[in-house]
Amino acid sequence: MSWIKATNRFLHAWRNPDDIAREVEAELRFHIEMRTRSNIEAGMDPDEARLAARKTFGDFDQVKTTCCEISRSLPFNSTVLKMGIYLILAVLAGGTALVTVNLPHHSLSGVLWQLVAIAVLARAFIVGRRSISTRQFASGIFKTKRERVHNDKVLSSDVCEKYRVGIAAHDEQGHTPVERMFE
Amino acid sequence: MSKAKAGLLQGTLDMLILKALFLGPLHGYGIGQRIAQISGDELKIEEGSLYPGLYRLERRGWVESEWDVSENNQRAKFYKLTRTGRKQLIIEEQNWERLASATMKALRAS
Repeated sequence: MSWIKATNRFLHAWRNPDDIAREVEAELRFHIEMRTRSNIEAGMDPDEARLAARKTFGDFDQVKTTCCEISRSLPFNSTVLKMGIYLILAVLAGGTALVTVNLPHHSLSGVLWQLVAIAVLARAFIVGRRSISTRQFASGIFKTKRERVHNDKVLSSDVCEKYRVGIAAHDEQGHTPVERMFE
Repeated sequence: MSKAKAGLLQGTLDMLILKALFLGPLHGYGIGQRIAQISGDELKIEEGSLYPGLYRLERRGWVESEWDVSENNQRAKFYKLTRTGRKQLIIEEQNWERLASATMKALRAS
């Protein structure tokens, strides 16, 4: 059944965000590679073909982030179902918190158990927030380590050309922006 | 119709992806090519926007994907229509026909 597969995929995405990011990236890079080949066959030289392929693809990083986000969102459209799941999660988290508070904390094992419970609750909060959040995710708050590293790489190679356009150090008279301020 | 003016209505992309996959499993790049081909090159999908659409359809369970080897021996992710996806395509087509005929009726009214 397709909804079972969709749910499995969602659970996999939840547990392995880095795998999903890697998979999405490989898929998008394959697309750009295919477009580059097609451009070369149409008579472009390889560099020009690659640049044109990236241009026609659009914002690689944005597309990747959106795809990762969709993979990690709940595979149900029903608000009632979503609310039910969040309610169960909230009850579980609340129950864990109650048990933790009532654990004896005068012994080392009690303190250790409390630390474990805090870690579990923190993880549950991050995972829950990640699935709910869409806008915050796009702005990078909940990006995986790998995505953040990739963004840095992209900024220094792929996207930089886009931002470099129009930021000239000198005007037509050879004056820098600072010199122009004091003219 | 001018290609530059052939913008897509919201929701149309999903229907076009389903239609492209109705003809057989394809990778993302192939889907874009097929849409262009079946529309007689009138519809050019912005390439990057295809993927969020595909991921949404997969999340809804209308398409499913698996990694395989492409025509040029590279690993690629292939998408195929599920049974629910086929049913959804029929619904989308009917909705589209209803919308198009209603719009035409409105435009022809004197």
